[in-house]
Amino acid sequence: MKGLCGAGIPARQSGSRTKLRDGRDHASVHRERLRFAGRNACATRLLLLAIVFFPALAHAYAGPGAGFAVLSSFWAIFVAFLYSFYALMTWPFRQVFRFLRRRNAYGKAKFKRAVVLGFDGMDPDLAERFMNEGKLPNLAKLRERGTFSKLRTTFPAISPVAWSTFMTGVNPGKHNIYDFLARDTSNYLPFLSSAEIKGPKRHLKIGKYSIPFGKTEIKGMRKGTPFWHWLGKAGIFSSVIRVPVTFPPEKFSGVLLSGMCVPDLKGSQGTFCLCTTRSSGDKFREGGVRVPVDRVNGVCRSYIPGPENPLAEKAGGELRVKFEIRPEPGSEQARILVGSEKLTLKVGEYSEWIPVEFKAGLGFTAHGICRFLLKEVAPEVEVYVTPVNIDPGHPDLPISHPVTYSIYLAKLYGPYATLGLAEDTWALNEHVLDDDAFLAQAYGNHEDRERMLFDALEKTKQGLCTCVFDTTDRVQHMFWRYLDEDHPAARDVPRDQRPRVIENLYQRMDRLIGRVMQQIDQDTLLMIVSDHGFKSFARCVNLNAWLHQNGYLALKDGKTESGDWFEDVDWSRTCAYTMGLNGLYLNIKGREKQGIVDPAEANALKEELRQKLDGLADPASGAVGITGVFITDSVYRGPYTENAPDLLVGCGAGYRASWDSVMGKVTGQVFEDNIKAWSGDHCIDPRLVPGVLFSSHKFVAEKPAIVDVAPTILQLFGLALPAHFDGKPWALAPAAAESLNRS
Amino acid sequence: MFPLLKPTAFRAQAPALLAFKIFLLTSPLAIVVVLSLVVGLAMVVLFGYTSDQKAIKVAKDRLKAHLLAVRLFRDQLPVVMGSYGKILRGTGRYLKLAFKPLLYVIIPITVLIVQLDRCLGSTPLQRNVPFLLTVSTTGADVLNGVSLELPPEIAMTAPAVRIPAGNEIVWRLTAAADGEYEARIAAGGQSVVKTVRVSSDLARVSPVRLRGRFWERIFTSGEAALPQSGPIESISINYPERNIEIAGYEINWIWLFFILSMVAGFLFKGLLGIQI
Repeated sequence: MKGLCGAGIPARQSGSRTKLRDGRDHASVHRERLRFAGRNACATRLLLLAIVFFPALAHAYAGPGAGFAVLSSFWAIFVAFLYSFYALMTWPFRQVFRFLRRRNAYGKAKFKRAVVLGFDGMDPDLAERFMNEGKLPNLAKLRERGTFSKLRTTFPAISPVAWSTFMTGVNPGKHNIYDFLARDTSNYLPFLSSAEIKGPKRHLKIGKYSIPFGKTEIKGMRKGTPFWHWLGKAGIFSSVIRVPVTFPPEKFSGVLLSGMCVPDLKGSQGTFCLCTTRSSGDKFREGGVRVPVDRVNGVCRSYIPGPENPLAEKAGGELRVKFEIRPEPGSEQARILVGSEKLTLKVGEYSEWIPVEFKAGLGFTAHGICRFLLKEVAPEVEVYVTPVNIDPGHPDLPISHPVTYSIYLAKLYGPYATLGLAEDTWALNEHVLDDDAFLAQAYGNHEDRERMLFDALEKTKQGLCTCVFDTTDRVQHMFWRYLDEDHPAARDVPRDQRPRVIENLYQRMDRLIGRVMQQIDQDTLLMIVSDHGFKSFARCVNLNAWLHQNGYLALKDGKTESGDWFEDVDWSRTCAYTMGLNGLYLNIKGREKQGIVDPAEANALKEELRQKLDGLADPASGAVGITGVFITDSVYRGPYTENAPDLLVGCGAGYRASWDSVMGKVTGQVFEDNIKAWSGDHCIDPRLVPGVLFSSHKFVAEKPAIVDVAPTILQLFGLALPAHFDGKPWALAPAAAESLNRS
Repeated sequence: MFPLLKPTAFRAQAPALLAFKIFLLTSPLAIVVVLSLVVGLAMVVLFGYTSDQKAIKVAKDRLKAHLLAVRLFRDQLPVVMGSYGKILRGTGRYLKLAFKPLLYVIIPITVLIVQLDRCLGSTPLQRNVPFLLTVSTTGADVLNGVSLELPPEIAMTAPAVRIPAGNEIVWRLTAAADGEYEARIAAGGQSVVKTVRVSSDLARVSPVRLRGRFWERIFTSGEAALPQSGPIESISINYPERNIEIAGYEINWIWLFFILSMVAGFLFKGLLGIQI
């Protein structure tokens, strides 16, 4: 549909300028067509009226199609009428009840509505540069009239951590999110820090089936209370769209669509699939699987791997959806048949979201959606399939509050990406997608998000409307290489041929802000925040390698490198290890299963590591690779500090923890080039990557931080601040406050 | 062993069983059931081919979305009212899309229903049960000149009753034997016939023969039009209305057909993946 719309616009535009062979121009033909269509439409309407109202025909029932249409239409109108009537009749009572219970929710509010847009990873330096170049007129307008400032981020500067702080108004020691991953001290393996999904405990075995009894348990690991819960308690409605770490969704007075950390249907954070006739190919490092395509008589058959079969007795029984690819001879296109869907794709073209059902038997079905990209039809056949997202119109896991909200959006705009990290960065890293295909996917998701935002703006005339856009983060991660002077991942692309992807991205976001500004009035506060900024990621630092070389981490005898997740690490001789993006852990006796560091000596060891790592230089250039090492005891406070890493390692600009180090792997080299498309990052020294704050009204705030957003919003709505908040509310500048008082 | 399963007993009772089966298959209920299934399937397939399936899905989904909006944003009255307006507009759009295929099916289905109604809408006359034959004329002045000629199997049981106020003349008749007969009516120098169907089985009947009135004739009469030049406007027979008994309730066949074909359509649309 997107393709059709895109094709339609230029066709209409060019049509008005050209002439036909008979001398008439397209416009006159179009007018004639309209007149004809008008006559036709008129005749059709008359015919319909005759059919419906002509007595002789009225009793001639015209088949189940028309019957259903009439019945369901009346049903829809009837139900809608009942709902509306109920809402209308009970509205005064509910208002009175609310007034008696909470007094006037907006009595002390300075604004009728707050619109908070999250642009994940928008960098203040880049924004300022583009504004100064006149490329971001709407953001420049906000800078002139309202606020533009750097926004201090969290330690570490990682999205789930920062957005958790954004919504709860507390430091990570109180919300328990320190990274995407946390470690299990019983086996040194990682687990997702934001949510835990457990299948039913009891199973009934019947023949080859093992039927689960009870519900799947989804436990949110993020603690703390999002500020929209406080608003809801005061009677203020909120629409919250795709704020990270809101899975599983919690109940409150408003609607919420979960964002980053929502898994795909396999339960992973996104596993793409490359279906190919090519027999060989390395295993993808992470994030994807290669699936064979069998070609018989010109018809290619393959499958989409799905979740584990919940009825299988043994783990590992994967559900699959089979599909066919029928290349059309002589043309660069193929027909794809999956379930009841039939689609024709050209090479390089994406399908729309296609529903897929993974059937386990006995009526158990997992509902997902995915998109196909036809990569090649001759001589080999290759199809890329996105990670299978949870179907928002038929969610098998709760991805919104209420559950019907995701369904509502799916019915209104069609299926949309629900996966937390919906833009397939792994596929671009692995060269399964090229730059254009990645951008098409990312901006497709972005357009869906824009539609959701504008619907929320329309529906939330009073209260809070907040929406986080991930495109800014993903595109900067993947295209920073073209911004850098000499990035290892873009050395083969001449400077004058490098696309201006990031500049275009900022301009696109600016246009979005312009459209939002047209929708709001003086009584609405518009705030744009980013959770962190961005820097180049040109060099990798393997801290596990450094720990190994410096005697803090030991490998089993005869080993010089380890496998992923500390395979071949000798824990009985290991004092410290690292996994994830910034955390460094001591192997403490009594805490880790095979801990050896006496808790009494832990502080001394932390200090020793801090001193040795801080200022660590890259031998290749002499540049400082690590600019700050922070002992977390002095950074965090709160009830969950025991789950925090012992030290946070902040890399310098241009550096980040290596891909291997993140996955708990010890390699021979500490520093190496990053040659992946993932070329920009922010998981470095948080002082180097502040976020950004724009607002429509001027705030007076010294060194504003992301932790201040929640208290600021609550205070602007006239609510008392919870005592446990770490953030401090910003005050409106006197002029802004005065103009609000006048209005 | 159950007697019917014994080969000898089965052979003896086979004709009775066959007759019973034929009765079941030719009973009005069986015909309506089978026909509803067939029509349900055919119409759903036709609907799938003749409608804009994608547009119907979008229209239906949007309707559902607006319904959900009323529920999700129930405390915001402007949203509720706005959604209600969108539901009304969406319903109109959906009906427009759903009725487009109606243009393709309206003629065949109407013809089918009319034809079926001649068999299933009324029961034929029964032997020795009185019935009325009514002739309607252009004016009261011709009533005295109207005469009736009957076949030997049909007898008049009472003298003709003339109703000048309604320009009508009515005869009470009975039939002695099953069959299709012709009653000849003469008036104004012209003679016309009206078929009379006497049967205990399912049979096609025509309750009325009409002059002119094209649409009414299409829908209610199974005979040729009466001559325009003659004084007779219509000849009707009061065939009893047929009702089908289900679970102790009597129901007109067309309602049963409506319900069953809808159910069949509902089942087949799911199986065939067609949006209705």
